[in-house]
Amino acid sequence: MLTLLAKLLKALNSETSPWALAMAMVLGMILGLTPLWRVHNLIILLAALIFRVNLTLFLISFGVFSGLAYLLDPLFHEWGLAILQADSWQGIYEAIYATAAGRVSQFYHTITMGSLVFSLLISPVIAALTYFVVVNYRKRIQQTLLKLKIVQVIRGSRFWQLYMDLRG
Amino acid sequence: MKRSIIRWPGLAAFAAIVGLLVIVSWLFLDAILKVTLEYGLGRLNGAEVNIQKVEHKWSPLTLTAYDVQATDPAKPSHNQVQLEKFSADVSAAELLLGRIHIEQLDVVGVRVDQARKQGEGEVYVAPSKEDIKEWASGSWEQLKVSLPSTDEIVQQVGLQTEQILTEAETQIEQQREQFEQAKAALPTKETLQQYQQQVKAITEGKVEGLGDIAARKEKLDNVKAAIRQDKEAIQKFRQQLSESADVVKTQIARVKEAPENDINRIRNFFQLNESGLQNVTGLLLGDKARQWSEYLLLAYEQLAPMLARSANTETVEKVRGEGESLSFVEDDAPPEFWIKQARTEVMIGDTAVNIDWQNITHQHDLLGQPTTYQARVDNGDLWQAFNLDGELSLLSSGIDAKQQWQLKGANVKNLGLSDSSELTAAITSALIDSDGRVLVRGNQLDGEAIIRMLDLAVTAQGSSKITNAIAQALAQLKRLDINTKVGGDILNPKLNLNSDLDQQLGKLLSQTAMAEAQTKLDDIKSELSAKVENQLGPKNQLLEDITQLNGQAESFDQQLEELLKAKIEDSLKDKLKDRLFGS
Repeated sequence: MLTLLAKLLKALNSETSPWALAMAMVLGMILGLTPLWRVHNLIILLAALIFRVNLTLFLISFGVFSGLAYLLDPLFHEWGLAILQADSWQGIYEAIYATAAGRVSQFYHTITMGSLVFSLLISPVIAALTYFVVVNYRKRIQQTLLKLKIVQVIRGSRFWQLYMDLRG
Repeated sequence: MKRSIIRWPGLAAFAAIVGLLVIVSWLFLDAILKVTLEYGLGRLNGAEVNIQKVEHKWSPLTLTAYDVQATDPAKPSHNQVQLEKFSADVSAAELLLGRIHIEQLDVVGVRVDQARKQGEGEVYVAPSKEDIKEWASGSWEQLKVSLPSTDEIVQQVGLQTEQILTEAETQIEQQREQFEQAKAALPTKETLQQYQQQVKAITEGKVEGLGDIAARKEKLDNVKAAIRQDKEAIQKFRQQLSESADVVKTQIARVKEAPENDINRIRNFFQLNESGLQNVTGLLLGDKARQWSEYLLLAYEQLAPMLARSANTETVEKVRGEGESLSFVEDDAPPEFWIKQARTEVMIGDTAVNIDWQNITHQHDLLGQPTTYQARVDNGDLWQAFNLDGELSLLSSGIDAKQQWQLKGANVKNLGLSDSSELTAAITSALIDSDGRVLVRGNQLDGEAIIRMLDLAVTAQGSSKITNAIAQALAQLKRLDINTKVGGDILNPKLNLNSDLDQQLGKLLSQTAMAEAQTKLDDIKSELSAKVENQLGPKNQLLEDITQLNGQAESFDQQLEELLKAKIEDSLKDKLKDRLFGS
């Protein structure tokens, strides 16, 4: 856990692109909010691995949003049901349902549909928010934090040693 | 140098992860299938489903499961259905399109209502308490009818002999008083002798002339008037005698019959009220009939509810966070789940009954054909002939189905009927014929069946007075016809059993009760008879007196009649002529 936190701090304090961190947050969020064993999550995983996004934040995001998903599942079900029962979309759903890809995607599952649509809708917001936090952290908070006594104490601790080792 | 946004080693990591997933799935596919099937079938069944082992074969794609047990949601200690093995040939092409099409399904060793060896199964959708209550309502402990003791019956009947005896005594006493009064008014022997002497004196002796004749005539008329008065008294007395004799005879006869009448009334009281026995058929045969019905209604009780649940997500309990999978199948698409051919081997005892099925699906509107099934077993170990065929369709209005069957010459041996603390009963041997039909329209069952039990031999033992009497009565049964009516919702069928058993039991119980009470009744009868005899003795004497007096009165009457015939004119006139003409 300490290692993971150290890695996160390293990423925050490094020159890793804020967008790489923002993308990690978004991909982790989609993986976390939607049911895990779905084909679209393979695409998310592939994207997280092949693009140079921060894997530490990706994993942390996945963990945090998985916990959140447990609370939001009933809402996802309701939204998914509403989306899947929308009259004007029935023809499209039937067409997709008749294909192997459609079946494999399990789009017809209420929570899958609800959580995926929700994740995609809030992705830009999460990405922008993450970008904003990272940039402001680096610009304002990082220097202020270093001056705090508590931080001085931490910097003398084993955690700091770990962090420094990672930083290499 | 700015690094590329593509991280090529990531591709290798992705391939490794996917490869790992595939290998794990491959290695543990059977276990995954087992858990998935247990979970899916359990949700359709509404209670825990256990599968011992699942095996798969890739070419042709075949899935085999062993020892499948589906817990009965209404009775978790038992399996609603269990089977030794099922094997399904799955169409791989359709599977890729998300459809489960099974070309051939073989199910072996199907048994229903078997006790679960591993203990109670978990229930996901419990049947409503009312339903359970309805099934559990019949118990011997609740049998309301009871056999009254002889004393209770005597008390309730209220013996009438004594009352009749008292009434008879009163009436006879009245007659006696009237009789005595009439008797007091009778002329005595002395009076009769006086009449005779007077008549003799008047009609005989020396005639002194016409004046004497006239005087004698007047005297004779006076005597005759007295005689007529007495004669009238005698007639009145005889009339009274006749009346008294009738009354005394009637009362004596009534009193003599009274003990027997009382005993008969007690016997009548032993005839048990049928309403108290109306549930004996259900109590005795309900469990067994339900068990048989589970075989006969296997298609409805097991398959149809599962298909119905699979077709309607509302009927499957939702698990939090699981969501629902909606179907967007087009009207002309093939069904998503379709077993084209199936053969199920249902075990009844040690006899295997093969049922052939066609077109098992929950989307009959897409298929355009109903699910059909047939079973025919002739000259089996258990019966001479068995024939079953039916069909069912799941439509938007509900389940539509029909089924009919004929069973002939089923040999039943040592079939336990009841094993409660109140009554243990078993059919030692019987020959059973049965035929029936069931229709289902909009999920509502409507059917009837008749079960004829011939050459019946029942052993039974009861622990209470009533169940003991029932047990004795059952042991005398030789034949039993049971009418079964099937009704209610298909997910919750109701059986209503009706037979002549209750009537037979009513008679037999009465006989049993009578036999038990016979000694007591004999005692009561002899006691009453003795009382009647003691009190009737003097009354009989009265009757004898009446008879005797009647004879005496008749004799008096005749004598008086004779006296009345006496005439003065002729004899006295003759004497007067003799004296006048000297002849």
